[in-house]
Amino acid sequence: MKEIIIRPKPKWQLVDFEEIWRYRELFYIFTWRDIKIRYRQTVLGIVYVVFQPVVNMIIFTVFFGNLAKIPSGNLPYALFVLIGLVFWNFFSGALARASDSMVSNESMIKKVYFPKIILPLSAIITFLFDFVINFLLLVIFAAVLGHLPSLWILVVLPLAILVTGCTIAGVSFLLSSLNVKYRDVRNVLPFLIQVILFLTPIIYPLSIVSDRNKYIMALNPMTSVVETMRMVFQKNPVFNPILILISVFSALFFLYLGLWYFQKTERYFADIV
Amino acid sequence: MKPIIEVRHLYKKYRIGMILPYYTLRDKLAELSRKPVNLFKKKKMSDDGLLEDEFWALRDVSFNAMPGEAIGIIGRNGMGKSTLLKVLCRITPPTRGEIRLRGSVASLLEIGTGFQQEMTGRENVFLNGAILGMKQKEIKRKFDEIVAFSEVEKFLDTPVKHYSSGMYMRLAFAIAAHLDPEILIVDEVLAVGDASFQKKCLGKMESTTYEGRTVIFVSHNMDAVSGLCNKTILIRNGSVAAIGETDKIVRLYKKENLDSSAKIHL
Repeated sequence: MKEIIIRPKPKWQLVDFEEIWRYRELFYIFTWRDIKIRYRQTVLGIVYVVFQPVVNMIIFTVFFGNLAKIPSGNLPYALFVLIGLVFWNFFSGALARASDSMVSNESMIKKVYFPKIILPLSAIITFLFDFVINFLLLVIFAAVLGHLPSLWILVVLPLAILVTGCTIAGVSFLLSSLNVKYRDVRNVLPFLIQVILFLTPIIYPLSIVSDRNKYIMALNPMTSVVETMRMVFQKNPVFNPILILISVFSALFFLYLGLWYFQKTERYFADIV
Repeated sequence: MKPIIEVRHLYKKYRIGMILPYYTLRDKLAELSRKPVNLFKKKKMSDDGLLEDEFWALRDVSFNAMPGEAIGIIGRNGMGKSTLLKVLCRITPPTRGEIRLRGSVASLLEIGTGFQQEMTGRENVFLNGAILGMKQKEIKRKFDEIVAFSEVEKFLDTPVKHYSSGMYMRLAFAIAAHLDPEILIVDEVLAVGDASFQKKCLGKMESTTYEGRTVIFVSHNMDAVSGLCNKTILIRNGSVAAIGETDKIVRLYKKENLDSSAKIHL
């Protein structure tokens, strides 16, 4: 049996993978719990997952596509906006839940020791589960409209999930630990998410943005995720590697920042939560 | 033989503000706008290394526990028992000092930690067991035993929100009672259920300690401490006031309490 040494300052480590591995069963159980609770309370169950992006797609198509006539390139507007929404719902849903995870599990943090990072992580995985269902729906919808994705999807999809995941993780590590100290985060977050929705090319194409602003927008990793994903559904995809690189680095930066702040404050959560 | 628990010169400092449930950025800004000077004023440090709004919740606590020993921790409210427990369970870090735990640890500061109202009794057994550090395999193996102990067989597939408080407590304790660590750290969790269930729990705990486990037991119930622990620590103002055989320490504590309550009556 390994000896446990409790000291004021343990050795500095950005992520203690060994410890997370030791607590893998708890990690699994938390994810299982989150998925269970998420679907148990709703009568519609899994239908509910599909419901949200579809309804959003219809509303956006009517108002932004048909009435405001926002261009959508070679894709029908409905498909164009659904690609964005499938990623957006993953991003916004997981971010909101993961950022609240420390506070909503407060009673546990005060009573038992475990690596707290598994709380936001399991919240994210719960939404990844939704995402997979939604993405399948998207592919079926695209096929029906005659826009089957090209083989590029095999490269772009894993990368897109990775970039989205890193961004959600980084930002939610930061926000969940800030939320422990300042409950304002809870009130500000919905507003913040709404602002990012308009700063991400979900309802409009990136092509209407000036070249310089495109690169500024790429600092929001979701910009390239959505933009590149849309390329995959087009006949002759033209990728913008600079845009993608900016977003990848930005996502890694968020991840590092979040991990650093989380690691710095984690030990005192039980004292202030 | 090496002690299984070694606590060396443990200190824990708290800021009075930290005990507040939480504050918002708004509170902080409001406070700053009232006294902007605070930002620049250097806080006064007293001789013992404390700022003016800080205090020691634990002060130089040291003790050892040998494998198989059951140690009681007693003391009046607010004297530092819970803080000591929290540091031992790694819920909060110490300010100074060191603890070495040479074995698997399970902490029971509360029973039913993490119970989910929406989930069934069965699901909660697995959830709570995992939170307390049990492996899934282990829970599966002990599942029937846990259920039998809890006496809620019929309601296993009912969400626990429909349980009576007694059933809820019994299920929660049944899980806790089947933990199998080398070191068990227990807070006042026995104050649950009716008298007969309490007795059953105490019996279970006694047999647990007899199985050669090391137990740290915090309680206000002197009978429980006397029944379970061979060694006891009396905590006063964050320090170890006395340590020794349970009977002696319990007598000391009772006398102390009598003295102080006599003062109040005067």
